Amino acid sequence: MTDVLTFSSKELLDLRRDPLLIILIGFLSVAVVISVLVGAADFRIQLDAYNQYAQQLANSGSGTPAAPPQLFPLQLLRGGVEYIEILGALFAVVLGYGTVAKEKHRGTLQLMLTRPIGRFAIAGGKLLGLSVVWLVVVAFLTVVSIITISTVGGASLTWHDLIRVVIAAMLAWVYLMFWSALAIALTVLSRQLSTGLIVGLVVWLVIVLILPQIGDTMDPDNQVPGGLFASLQIKKADELAVMAHFTWFDDIRNGIEVSSIEKHFERLTFGFLGIKEQYNQQPLAYIWGDLFPYAITLAVATLASAFFALVATTRRMLQRK
Amino acid sequence: MHEIAVSFGSRHALTGMTLEIAQGEVFGLLGHNGAGKTTTVNVLTTLLAPTAGTALVNGFDVVAQAQEVRRSIGYLPENVQFYDHLTVRENLRFFGKLSGLRKPDGRITEVLDFLDFGGMEDRRVGGFSKGMRQRIGIAQAVLHEPTVLFLDEPTSGLDPEGVRALRDTIARLNSEFGMTIFMNTHLLSEVTKTCTSIGILRNGGLVHTDSMSGTLNTFSSEDSLEDVYFQLESVPVR
Repeated sequence: MTDVLTFSSKELLDLRRDPLLIILIGFLSVAVVISVLVGAADFRIQLDAYNQYAQQLANSGSGTPAAPPQLFPLQLLRGGVEYIEILGALFAVVLGYGTVAKEKHRGTLQLMLTRPIGRFAIAGGKLLGLSVVWLVVVAFLTVVSIITISTVGGASLTWHDLIRVVIAAMLAWVYLMFWSALAIALTVLSRQLSTGLIVGLVVWLVIVLILPQIGDTMDPDNQVPGGLFASLQIKKADELAVMAHFTWFDDIRNGIEVSSIEKHFERLTFGFLGIKEQYNQQPLAYIWGDLFPYAITLAVATLASAFFALVATTRRMLQRK
Repeated sequence: MHEIAVSFGSRHALTGMTLEIAQGEVFGLLGHNGAGKTTTVNVLTTLLAPTAGTALVNGFDVVAQAQEVRRSIGYLPENVQFYDHLTVRENLRFFGKLSGLRKPDGRITEVLDFLDFGGMEDRRVGGFSKGMRQRIGIAQAVLHEPTVLFLDEPTSGLDPEGVRALRDTIARLNSEFGMTIFMNTHLLSEVTKTCTSIGILRNGGLVHTDSMSGTLNTFSSEDSLEDVYFQLESVPVR
């Protein structure tokens, strides 16, 4: 365990001063913050417009205003979550790759491997170091997002909302660790460093972009902007009745989507943040009851990925040329 | 080392090498490029498992007791590299802890002073010259006070001043701390000035081992080590 801590503290120190990490995290932060800012500004405009209208009505004494628009501040996080799904996963692959590639490229491996270190010290240290890095990054993004929603959006978040945001942040941390651990394992197993990165990027491309895109394309509601059934003014009950004839099609579409771990993360976060309409304003227990299989698969996939990295990182594999 | 052989597929890097080095010696392994010098060091430092034969370092088997071997050796690879974003102290602290030192800071200061490198502890390694890196390389190798020190082509790429400083350091480590030193080189001049015994390696096999004086006595007094080397280069591999 001491060796793992030694490796992880070195990793943290090295990463903290690495310009690549600063650029990647900076880019991700800017993307997430801009997305929340834009949403928050829009939210503020709608809120101000309603307040102005209510004020005018009150001043003219011509009656009580209509109910305020249904504005849900947590839904402003949608863009940020999507950036973490795609860009965050990509950067997690690059960082995971980098931690192993740098050792191989620099030749510091030889110095480590002539030391009496434990079997899992190198991989364990790198995983622990990266988990701290991602925890800090996710915590930072969460705090900045909350502040942006409150200040720019002018929305007041309840404790209930904050708990949901924290749950989403924890899910993001687990999801990012899945990618970093996978990248470590793939880089260790590759004879050539470039192969490790290419394989990692191909896996990312398939899981994060291709599979979800196929699922989205097959969704009848995505064929027309605003939704197919909505644009035809078909009521929800009728929509469900129509779709009942195509359950096999929906099963295939859903099967393709859930073969991507990204969708598990997305369904969970969209559920807890109320971005998915059916879970909006629902109690946490209800959401958990409905979505816990996704939480289990996300946790199992991340643990499997970490185990893969630990098992793959042997002295022999690290020295392969 | 007894009958150590190392093969990479059909290529034989070492072909049944047998060698014994007494404690406290400064041994120089000479040979042309590709003779098997680095492979020999890799076997003895546990970086590479031999295909056949046995090797003991400090009485520990390099395969069966690899962790014990690692605890008792120091190693300086050719073209040693460090973490450029970290300072000298941070680099040495990391390697010191991996070598089993719980609080290496005091020892780091001591070793850097010994190497005449004091005051550089808080500088980042990134901008260091080859000679400066080599000194930190020696520092990381001796931090945990190993009994055997392996140096792979230690003078490679150093300027004459750096070579002289390294030579002095090797001599002091041997005389002041009784460290046994195993050095790979293809520079005859280095062996002459630094080593107490030598081995000459050709195509994966030893063609000669003896003390430095014994080696020179075996041949005519007019022969330089260079002449000896080229004479031995032509004899069959033992």
